[in-house]
Amino acid sequence: MLTCDAYHRPRTLAEALALWADAPEGSRLVSGATDIYPWARDGRAGDVHLPAMIDLSGIGELRGYGFGKGRLHLAAGTVYQDFLTDPVLRQNLPCMPHVAIWFADDQIREVATLAGNLVNASPVADGTPAVVALNGAIELARLEDGEIRRRTVEIEEFIHGPGRTAIRKGEIATQVTLDTCCGYGGAFQKVGQRRSLVISVACCAALVRTDPEGRTFEDVRLALGGVGPGPMRLREAERMLRGERVEPEAILRAAHGAADRVASRSRLDYRREVVVNFVRAALEEALANRPNRAAAHDQSKETMANA
Amino acid sequence: MPDMDLSCTVNGRPVARRVAAHARLLDLLRDDLNLTGTKEGCGAGECGTCSVFVDGKLVKSCLMPAGRAEGAVIETVEGLAGRGPLTPVQKAFHKTGASQCGYCIPGMVMAATACLRQNPEADLDEIKERMGGNICRCTGYTKILEAVEIARDVIAGRADASVLDADETLGESYIGHNVRRIDAPAKVTGRLRYAADMKLVDMLQMQVLRSPHPHARIVRIDTAEAEAMPGVECVITADDVPGKDGFGVFVHDQPVMARGKVRHVGEAVAAVAAEDLVTARRAVAAIKVEYELLPGLYDPEDALKPGAPVIHDYAPDNVVKHIPLRKGDIAAGFAAADVILEHEFGTQQVEHAYLEPEAGIAFVDHDDVVTVHSPSQNITHHRHMLAEILGLPINKVRMVMSPVGGGFGGKEDMIYQGMLAIAAMKTMRPVQLNFTREESLVASAKRHPSRVAYKMGLTSDGRITAVKFEMLSDGGAYGMSSEGVMRKAAILSCGPYEIENLQVDTRAVYTNNTPSGAFRTFGGMQAQFATESMMDMAAERLGLDPFEIRRINMYRAGSLTHTQHRLDRASLDQVLDAAEAASRWETGVPSVRGALRGDLGGPDTRRPCTLGARLAGGPATAAATEAAE
Ligand SMILES: Cc1cc2nc3c(=O)[nH]c(=O)nc-3n(C[C@H](O)[C@H](O)[C@H](O)COP(=O)(O)OP(=O)(O)OC[C@H]3O[C@@H](n4cnc5c(N)ncnc54)[C@H](O)[C@@H]3O)c2cc1C
Repeated sequence: MLTCDAYHRPRTLAEALALWADAPEGSRLVSGATDIYPWARDGRAGDVHLPAMIDLSGIGELRGYGFGKGRLHLAAGTVYQDFLTDPVLRQNLPCMPHVAIWFADDQIREVATLAGNLVNASPVADGTPAVVALNGAIELARLEDGEIRRRTVEIEEFIHGPGRTAIRKGEIATQVTLDTCCGYGGAFQKVGQRRSLVISVACCAALVRTDPEGRTFEDVRLALGGVGPGPMRLREAERMLRGERVEPEAILRAAHGAADRVASRSRLDYRREVVVNFVRAALEEALANRPNRAAAHDQSKETMANA
Repeated sequence: MPDMDLSCTVNGRPVARRVAAHARLLDLLRDDLNLTGTKEGCGAGECGTCSVFVDGKLVKSCLMPAGRAEGAVIETVEGLAGRGPLTPVQKAFHKTGASQCGYCIPGMVMAATACLRQNPEADLDEIKERMGGNICRCTGYTKILEAVEIARDVIAGRADASVLDADETLGESYIGHNVRRIDAPAKVTGRLRYAADMKLVDMLQMQVLRSPHPHARIVRIDTAEAEAMPGVECVITADDVPGKDGFGVFVHDQPVMARGKVRHVGEAVAAVAAEDLVTARRAVAAIKVEYELLPGLYDPEDALKPGAPVIHDYAPDNVVKHIPLRKGDIAAGFAAADVILEHEFGTQQVEHAYLEPEAGIAFVDHDDVVTVHSPSQNITHHRHMLAEILGLPINKVRMVMSPVGGGFGGKEDMIYQGMLAIAAMKTMRPVQLNFTREESLVASAKRHPSRVAYKMGLTSDGRITAVKFEMLSDGGAYGMSSEGVMRKAAILSCGPYEIENLQVDTRAVYTNNTPSGAFRTFGGMQAQFATESMMDMAAERLGLDPFEIRRINMYRAGSLTHTQHRLDRASLDQVLDAAEAASRWETGVPSVRGALRGDLGGPDTRRPCTLGARLAGGPATAAATEAAE
């Protein structure tokens, strides 16, 4: 059971930062609360008493998104459901709808934030591999002499291990910046104890761009979750594929290369096995999900309907 | 507790309340507004019994801070129909019989409503996907999904609203007809009150201190600090049991609270009744128990070894129950066999996971009758046991069965009603105890994990000549229903087959694992898993069709059962015919066709869950594009 002495609902970032700077030791920031509440239960942290909870969900500045320098800036309040319902996000972050559909359920996604997922830094978080594949970075704000100061940290540097990040005392995550990957095909693979509404044992995010004919890989992004203390970008596999012809052998080579690399770091045989299939399936699905490809697919469906 | 002031709109009405700073939206709705159609099934966002709309979006209210309700527009299951007629979704749930125990149903109705609000054209795959956050343990979802499709068609105008009220005409008999459940309207509207939804004036909340150890002697329990806490009305331990302590479905080996020693992790050691839940939990944390650890038993085989630790003094061999069955002469039967198969089978512990965690209320009425409301599956027996425990004549004890939000056998054991009754007698105030999901998992009985050593002799034409069946079950720390489960496992051991020579032994033994008890099939499942697997393996070995080998051995009118009962009727032949037709079975030995089989994945086969129905570019995308333009 979670109890607290004070529950704050600041309306501005400045107000939140001031509250956070003054908050007694042990206080917590709250976004969707979908990690915090289940954590304060028997079998995990048990009953937890917090001096203060600072709820960030009422802050206007932490909502919405914008573009800048080829990057998408998602405010920290962006929730997983947005990746399914917002057509602009769907188009520019093609792997995210696939992550979202396998993430929890519709109701949790309405409140669970991407930022909370990153700060919580679970090794089996679904969002981190996708964010790493999108060259993601997180913006952190703090108060210094009454001024809001911001710094940006790459996600690969931000996550140090399970539950450990580069966030410092007094800092609030305000933004997640990502590459815009319009025109890429995206995919997400996930395996857990059951299919739906489950935490991953391992997961894999992929983004693929090809030439218009779909013959060669122009860009490939691959990242794994659940195989180590933090997300793992598969740069070697990406390099192997860039410029390669789109062929099953190339995909399989990359998949095996990735598994070898993981094998050296992961203790679980099962995860090792899963990686080969994951990388292959993620690449195949990402290829199938390319937007131009999808249009062709729709066309063929129409022809069939007319026939 | 520090408070905060909140105002919001709930089901169309303005609401202003002062709530605890830590309250969740679920607490505001249930405790402050008495909107108990919203349930707490897990408190961790997994089950969906607490789904409500906040500003038009469906969320799980157990994970939403109440503070976030400030200024929000909230709609609960009570608000869907208000005082008007049921909504099409609610009517469709009524029509198809989608509500069984009903505990998941308010949440299901909310999720179905949200699904059809989001996409009125959702197809079955999308409906499944959008309702994926809500769990049901009774229906297998079929009737729920059927209801949502009917409601969708009515809302979209494709089907006439009259289908919601239409029923099949009843012929001569109710049997074979769909009949409406009379309790469905109460369930689809959230009006039915389960034990955790009831409130009595001046009611205390109980919390229980549970053992962290599987086997330990209790050296000392110090309740002084807990008792001194303001708001604590009583702290009880085994010493407070006024009558003869002990309950169980067959053997009364379980004390109301641990007496002298604990036998499994999660066993109740002491209980607190306090003015509110937080105080009760803090008081529980303040109780100090000194334990002396004892060697434990975790494997049923170890329990039978000479010199094994003894878990109950009355059973120095650790055997809860041994049921032997003998028929014919197995030595002769095996001698007459052409083939003998020997295999071992193991099944695991299973949790019932009913959506309603254990809950109850007790009070002493004006005539000094101790009254307990709880979702008990066995009230009369509970009443008798409780009278003994309380040292009261039977007419001074009343058990009321509150609606059972799923039981499946798991609510047959009186694991908390005694504590409630004693606290009510000590405080002379009503007391309520609502288990958390975690508590329900550690404290309630499970399906027996069982091992079966099986030996079967057959003639080469498929006739079973003899069976030796030995089951060892882990009964866990207390007897509970083990005796009955072993009896049933023995009776059903060799399945619906006539076997002239058999030797069956089923045994449940004590260990320091979570107690095993009643669970649907009551021992039959573990036995049938072994027997039916043996039948398939025998068919393979003898080159027979699996249906054929069953027909050769099945009970017929005139057969003598394992327990030597002469049958005057038997219907297995019809069951096999029906199953064979329904499964579109291709006749043949099971092992030789492999990928060539044509009878797999037919039209009524359930496909695995695949998500992403709305990513493929269906109506949801169209709606999103429209919204963006
Ligand atoms: C039923 C259920 C299913 C789930 N399924 C999945 C799943 O499939 N995949 C998955 O990855 N996760 C899953 N989760 C976990 C959880 O939903 C996610 O990790 C979610 O993204 C957390 O976000 P939140 O906004 O709810 O975080 P919160 O619980 O509010 O916060 C999480 C942590 O981040 C901190 N924090 C939050 N916001 C900020 C900020 N702006 N700046 C600094 N610190 C901050 C908090 O202090 C806290 O330590 C599930 C959870 C539940 C209950």
